[in-house]
Amino acid sequence: MKNLISRFSLALVFTLPMQVASVSAQQYDKLDLGSQPLSNKVCATCHGAYGVGNPIVGGPSLAGLEPWYLKRQLEGFRANYRGKEADYIPGQEMQASVARLSDEEIETLVAYIETWPAVEPEKTISGDANKGSALYANCAACHGINGEGNELLGAPALVGRDDWYMFRQLNLFKSGYRGGHPEDIYGQQMRASVQALQTAEDINNVLAYINTLN
Amino acid sequence: MKKFVSRRELLSLIAKTGASAAVLKASSAMGLVPDTQVNSIDIPSVNPVNRPTVVVLGAGISGLTVAYELDKAGYDCVILEAAPKAGGRCMTVRHGDLIDEVGNPQICEFDDEPHMYFNAGPARIPSAHRNLMRYCRELGVELEIFINENKEAYIQDDAMMKGKPIKNGTFTTNARGFMAEIMAKNFTGHELDQPLDQYEAESLIGAIRSFGDLREGNLYKGSTRGGYAHGGFIEHGVQKDVVAFAELLKTDFMRSILSANEGETGPVLFQPVGGMDKIVQGFTRKLQDKINYDVMVSSVNLNNGNGVVVDYEHRGMKYKIEADYCFNCIPSHLMTGIDNNFDADYIEALRYIRRGEAYKSAFQTKTRFWEKDDIYGGITWTKQPIQQIWYPPHGLFKEKGVILAAYDFGGGMHFTKLSQEERLETAIKQGLKVHPEYRDQVEKGITIAWHRMNHMLGCAARWQRDRSGMTLEEERLYHTLQQPAGGRHYMIGDQVSVHSAWQESAILSAHWAIKDMVNRQSTVKTTPVQKVS
Repeated sequence: MKNLISRFSLALVFTLPMQVASVSAQQYDKLDLGSQPLSNKVCATCHGAYGVGNPIVGGPSLAGLEPWYLKRQLEGFRANYRGKEADYIPGQEMQASVARLSDEEIETLVAYIETWPAVEPEKTISGDANKGSALYANCAACHGINGEGNELLGAPALVGRDDWYMFRQLNLFKSGYRGGHPEDIYGQQMRASVQALQTAEDINNVLAYINTLN
Repeated sequence: MKKFVSRRELLSLIAKTGASAAVLKASSAMGLVPDTQVNSIDIPSVNPVNRPTVVVLGAGISGLTVAYELDKAGYDCVILEAAPKAGGRCMTVRHGDLIDEVGNPQICEFDDEPHMYFNAGPARIPSAHRNLMRYCRELGVELEIFINENKEAYIQDDAMMKGKPIKNGTFTTNARGFMAEIMAKNFTGHELDQPLDQYEAESLIGAIRSFGDLREGNLYKGSTRGGYAHGGFIEHGVQKDVVAFAELLKTDFMRSILSANEGETGPVLFQPVGGMDKIVQGFTRKLQDKINYDVMVSSVNLNNGNGVVVDYEHRGMKYKIEADYCFNCIPSHLMTGIDNNFDADYIEALRYIRRGEAYKSAFQTKTRFWEKDDIYGGITWTKQPIQQIWYPPHGLFKEKGVILAAYDFGGGMHFTKLSQEERLETAIKQGLKVHPEYRDQVEKGITIAWHRMNHMLGCAARWQRDRSGMTLEEERLYHTLQQPAGGRHYMIGDQVSVHSAWQESAILSAHWAIKDMVNRQSTVKTTPVQKVS
């Protein structure tokens, strides 16, 4: 059967050590995770193979995310102002997973994830896209009329993202779990803006509209 | 206001529950120990010239079973495993081992001695699990007796005895005594639906008296069955003080303690000498060159009825493998994050299963202090979140030991959410209520939150949304997932059973899938092609 195994492409082989560990100081030196090449494996358990996302374990898709946005969020998790929500295990896991990454490691990771092909997210939200269209005017200022995002304003694209994840994040912004930290400048802006969405129905409607964008 | 139950009401209650108690008894004798039916599996050998190829995803117990059996029958098998070692949740932790929890990896620093191990996953083998027993025999896995119930271990509930722990033996003898007294006092033949003749009546009252160790007048006056307060050999034994029935009723432990060694955790239970993963090693000895570790599967696709194509990554390089059949024990909730071309029904079933939580932790202790308290193996039960303390039945009289310090088999989120330091401190604090010397005795600790373990993110699969049994819809989803996708891809593991969390279920799931594959092959061979009009 060995001949059935055919190497079809030499993927990116990184030599930079990756440490995904967060252990007590005494234990940390003993972990030999650094000898492993950077691979899909770092993220795949939660975020699915090559970042396709896995809602069943709360891992949003990563493939197709803008590198500058990804970098900012990794830094946010590392600085412990993302993933702080009480009672939400996936966020806490993410926080702990990146807590010890160096700047250089984050750069490498972001560059690697950038190579993953974008995926079309599954649409799971049902709402009134017409009503959502009016609400979206408020979002368009930063995220663009077509949800394409705007790097200059620090606003990521909304097209191509998981609606269930955006639903969660909008609620986190509303409750202050996200965007409530003084270092999280963009998050603070978002937190202020999101108050325009007053009900869960509003959130569903605006996401239904975003799902219609291309 | 407290509502008191009159004597008449109590009698009626006993009468009403009498029947259901009998049913419960019968079910714990039969229902809780599923009959595993098959204890061998016959697979017709295949033609060595044109061997069918099989790719097994995951080297958990079910994946190892499939590869082992099909390899014996001549199939060409390869196992792809994400972790650097085999076994899945059948995991034993020893000196130097990595506990690969997402965000909280630990290196076990227990002393490097054969008895200083911890079974982080399954830890008991019921004798009724005859397929697992068969593999232990076949693979040369040495077993020893595991002690589950120990009358010298403790029962602790803050609601009872002001939180003071009492010996299991004290608890159970008193509980049975008072229960027997109630039964005997109210016993007259004509109160029963079926009148008893004199012999039957005497037989029954004799059993009741014996059940509760009753004295003259059918009264419970304490028992020495839970051990003497002192004496008993050279001097006459002095009976322990009676614990008031009202005190015992302050806890609901009577529901579980009196039947703790029945059903699946009833004797006889076994453990492999040296750790549960000796079973895994038994399999891997036979399959050495067929297991590829550190492999991340990225897609699993049916190849138009001609087998299965699996893409994977290994140490930074991408590979593709094609096989006639695929047996997959990747946890269902991780399979949903792996690209595939399965039918919508199949994906729906994959996504329906909820992942279990389950949490364990263990301490290395300076001495085997429990042995000084006459405890050799067995379990202490407490109502605190740690729930149980297990004393090792192995390594008797050695200097140190490893005890299970917490085991939440159904939940575990209480601990999962805590930091490593908080988890260990919580376990010490709660253990102190049972063993005053606990803090001084604990040397090193480890924790395993199965919900966060890398490559698993969950413990035993949960098919049922509530405890009343599987709904018709759940039955449909279960059978959908049991059937092979495209006739070629089988989900396996205890996750594809109605009795998850046991290795026997993983093995029987593997056997079910193998037999189904063999049946389909023979159907293909013997059925002439028919024209469909």
